[in-house]
Amino acid sequence: MSSVELYSPTDLADALRFIEHKGEEVAVIASGTDLIPRMRKRQVSPSVLLDISSFQSDLRYVRQSDGGVSLGALTTLTDVLESSLFNGKLSVIHEAAEIFGAPQVRNVATVGGNVCSAASSEDLIPVLMALGARLKVISSGGERTVPIKDFVVGKRETALKPSEILAEVRFDYPKGKYWTGFEKLGRRNMLIISLVSMAMRLTLEDDLSTVRSASIALNRVSGRVPALASKTEEFLVGSKLSEKTIVEAQKVLATELALTSDFRSSAAYRMEIAQVYLKRLLLRCSERIRRETE
Amino acid sequence: MTRRVISLNVNGAERSVQVGPLERLIDVLRDELWLKSVKEGCSTGDCGICAVMVDGKLVNSCLMLAAQCDGRRVLTLEGLQNDLTMKRLQGSFIANNAAQCGFCTPAMLMASWDLARHSSKPSTEEVKVAMSGILCRCTGYYQIIDSVKQGCREERR
Repeated sequence: MSSVELYSPTDLADALRFIEHKGEEVAVIASGTDLIPRMRKRQVSPSVLLDISSFQSDLRYVRQSDGGVSLGALTTLTDVLESSLFNGKLSVIHEAAEIFGAPQVRNVATVGGNVCSAASSEDLIPVLMALGARLKVISSGGERTVPIKDFVVGKRETALKPSEILAEVRFDYPKGKYWTGFEKLGRRNMLIISLVSMAMRLTLEDDLSTVRSASIALNRVSGRVPALASKTEEFLVGSKLSEKTIVEAQKVLATELALTSDFRSSAAYRMEIAQVYLKRLLLRCSERIRRETE
Repeated sequence: MTRRVISLNVNGAERSVQVGPLERLIDVLRDELWLKSVKEGCSTGDCGICAVMVDGKLVNSCLMLAAQCDGRRVLTLEGLQNDLTMKRLQGSFIANNAAQCGFCTPAMLMASWDLARHSSKPSTEEVKVAMSGILCRCTGYYQIIDSVKQGCREERR
């Protein structure tokens, strides 16, 4: 810890040149709300910190364009909460942001930082998975796009190469009759790492009861990594939403979750909550779609 | 370990301090500038006792590198000694017995001052959200909520 250096680049091009050469030893730091305590506990010991927090004009924005929404990597959670884009149908984002950390954390914590931290504790990851977000990753060689489900590859592991920086999170507006929602359980309402969190985007057919498509993401699916519950999604497609369908879907969910116990919660309790959240979100989203359509 | 000199506007005064790469804002405020209203509790962002204002936003000073604060404006409770809103809030905290051990009180006052700037008549729910990042170990939350509501109301009198 004592030998760490902090590099403050003059502009984004300088940052990308720096990380291209020093990538292996570098940890990118934005606001540092996650990284600073982890460095102090020596869970990570980078030899160089690359400070990207000064690129506010390049990487901090919430934009609506081409049938979707783009969030700059340095957009804070407070920016997200203050945006009017996430009321209504995209409320999954607002609901997650509202209970994210606490005001002091939301004022500085960034969307990009949350995604790059890549742990089950990062509330935005399931949300962005449910929305099918794509991540724009830049390096001095250019840019590429990575779907978020391929970006989080393990606990605290991402698909970022050592020479790359996450620049933007983007998702398209879902089509058809849809609604979204988020549920999270912790020991208290705020400033808490979730035991279970679930984000959903549900789209119904014109009959307002048959599922056209569903996107369901949890903070943990297998072990401690956020992912989509793809078997449950597949099961729901084409079926009419009824009490029976929901009970069946809960059983399918149980087969694809490989949950673990830890000091926060037992695996059995996590499973119980995940099933309750599945039912709750299916009912909540379908109800909202019907109300909107009437 | 390379140290660098940063300049901060702290409570209205321009200050120059030398900081190491991993020194946090709280370290500079407490140990260099001797601003002891800023307390260190958990050091991980869970308790909020180190809350200060940076560029007009409430933040946890234990979760910020000092070097990243170069050129920024920092406000602690010491800088609000003569602020009328803060005086009302402090009066209200005293009147409602909102401090028991007092360790969280500076941070509670900073968070309530931040709320009072935006809202003259916050609901109980709004107060709870505004204070949600700060833990009181004495469990005196209800007196604190009452104090904040009263202090905010009095502001626009």
